[in-house]
Amino acid sequence: MKAPPLIPRATVRAFAVVCVALAVLPLLDVSIYTHNLLTRSYILIAGALAWNWMGGFVGQVSFGHAAMFGIGGFVAGRLALELQLPWPVCWLAGALIAGGFALGAHPLLRLRGPYFSIATIGVGEASRVVFTYWERFTGGASGMSLPIDGTFKYQLYWWALGLAAAVAAASVVLRRSSFGLKLLAIKSDADAAADVGISATLYQDLIFVLSGAVVGLTGAISASYYSFLEPSDTFGFERSIGFVLMAVIGGVGTALGPALGAVVFVLVQTYLLASYPQFHLGIYGVLLILIILFEPLGLTGLGRRVARLARRRAPAEQVSRPAAR
Amino acid sequence: MRPLDLISFARLGDLAVSAVLLAGLYATMAYGLGLIYGVLRVVNLAHGGVIMAGAYIGWAMFDRLGIDPYLSIPVVMVVSFALGVAMYQGLVRRLPRGAAGGPASLLLLFGVWLVLRNIAYLVFTGNDRTIRTAYSSRSLAILGSHVSLTRLVVLGLGLAIAIGLHLLLRRTLIGRAIRAVAQNADSCTLVGIDVERIYTLTFGIGTALAGVAGVLLATIFSFSPASGSSELLRSFVVVVLGGLGSVFGVVIAALIVATAEVFAVLILPSYLTSAVGFLLLVLVLVLRPGGLFGQRVLA
Repeated sequence: MKAPPLIPRATVRAFAVVCVALAVLPLLDVSIYTHNLLTRSYILIAGALAWNWMGGFVGQVSFGHAAMFGIGGFVAGRLALELQLPWPVCWLAGALIAGGFALGAHPLLRLRGPYFSIATIGVGEASRVVFTYWERFTGGASGMSLPIDGTFKYQLYWWALGLAAAVAAASVVLRRSSFGLKLLAIKSDADAAADVGISATLYQDLIFVLSGAVVGLTGAISASYYSFLEPSDTFGFERSIGFVLMAVIGGVGTALGPALGAVVFVLVQTYLLASYPQFHLGIYGVLLILIILFEPLGLTGLGRRVARLARRRAPAEQVSRPAAR
Repeated sequence: MRPLDLISFARLGDLAVSAVLLAGLYATMAYGLGLIYGVLRVVNLAHGGVIMAGAYIGWAMFDRLGIDPYLSIPVVMVVSFALGVAMYQGLVRRLPRGAAGGPASLLLLFGVWLVLRNIAYLVFTGNDRTIRTAYSSRSLAILGSHVSLTRLVVLGLGLAIAIGLHLLLRRTLIGRAIRAVAQNADSCTLVGIDVERIYTLTFGIGTALAGVAGVLLATIFSFSPASGSSELLRSFVVVVLGGLGSVFGVVIAALIVATAEVFAVLILPSYLTSAVGFLLLVLVLVLRPGGLFGQRVLA
């Protein structure tokens, strides 16, 4: 007997259709505004999903992912400036170094819950300070400009889409694989997981390196897209908060919820905050409070609740119809 | 960087004095965070926000009404106590307790912090502020080094609060109830202690202490709505290092943290000293997560 596939065929097909549709979209008559909005969303989708591997799947909420985002961006930018390597090579190098940095944070993984979270604030802030003053590498407070021509910037749409699609697919596979189940076991009870032979340290290391490398990659691609980098913004606390917010809005720990959160995040930033910049933090704060209190799984939880309601109503109608006749 | 032998003995003395003075502020910042964590097992991530809010209340009363910042402390205490009670009753109480409540309470209180920050931006704008009184630049000569008057007052108040808190927890019925709830909440219900009321009270006292720390901070350093994360981190280091066992553990830990930060000037380029607190945090968490004095809770 053949084992059922990890992902249902129909889901794979639907996912492929969506990706192809998004890939041909710029070939149709799409405004540069929409083009930009989508590219930014793809980059953030990849970042939010990768944050969720650590913050959602293992339940280790990190307030310091900006460190990996910044390292990916600056390594890629510096390599492109000094060695004129092709961009994809620079991005990959940025991702690898960011992953290496995550591995260097290994001692932190012994900590759990609030201890881990607050330690990540420490790592994030320390790397912001260090990189702001490491002028030879980051250009200090005046930042670093990258030579990006308009055509390449336009093409980044497909690179970003490819990355987002790959990370989304990886998230779904990860969630359903035995690796994902082990992460879930560590999240529920690290000691009990250790009793059945799941090393919390090993698997957290693995997922933290993966998460860090992908976030580093998004940092690198986003650096090319904006063609400008500045340490206090790239390594900023606000950026780390962004990852947390996207995941929470979409649904922490769900396979694809954070992608939805990233889209909402971009929309809120573009439409709501452009008109009310003075409520920037407050909107996110209130959103965070409401979600945690009323719908801890965010939009995904809300969707599931609506689906449940619809399902309950549908059979009821089928029963009531013959009775009415 | 300077070679160590060039540093005069007097300079080391100056550094030691400023470390002691800074310790008073750090201890005051940490009491509230430690108390709430010790009793409710909730890390108040809004702690830095409450400190910032306390600083602004003190500043507003000085700037608008001309009230001396040290005299405004009772008002700040009442306001931030009410804020803490509202935070507990309106938000924290509605969360599941125990392991499942961990990340949720962190994110919830983080949301509160963002809201507090936004309110501060709206009301006070993003400019840096300091409370500058007529005596702010006065200094006294003690043991051959000049000591700023405000820093001395902050140290004195910090120690006074330590003694007050110690007496509250040890000598009063409420304090005994708080300590009992910290040890075993279930048994407290059996002997007729209203655990929810103690939780509310503890959260209120914790945020009241954070508010006071804010006023003290404002009389020494400049602050803005974005302030709070380094205050939260320092408080957390002090709490972890000092453990939850006693108020005086916190005082000693604050002294250690302040000394490390101040003396880092000798070996690190000055721009890196602001990273020392963060590095210390990581070191302490990794090497001594149980604190220097073990993990006894308010025993």
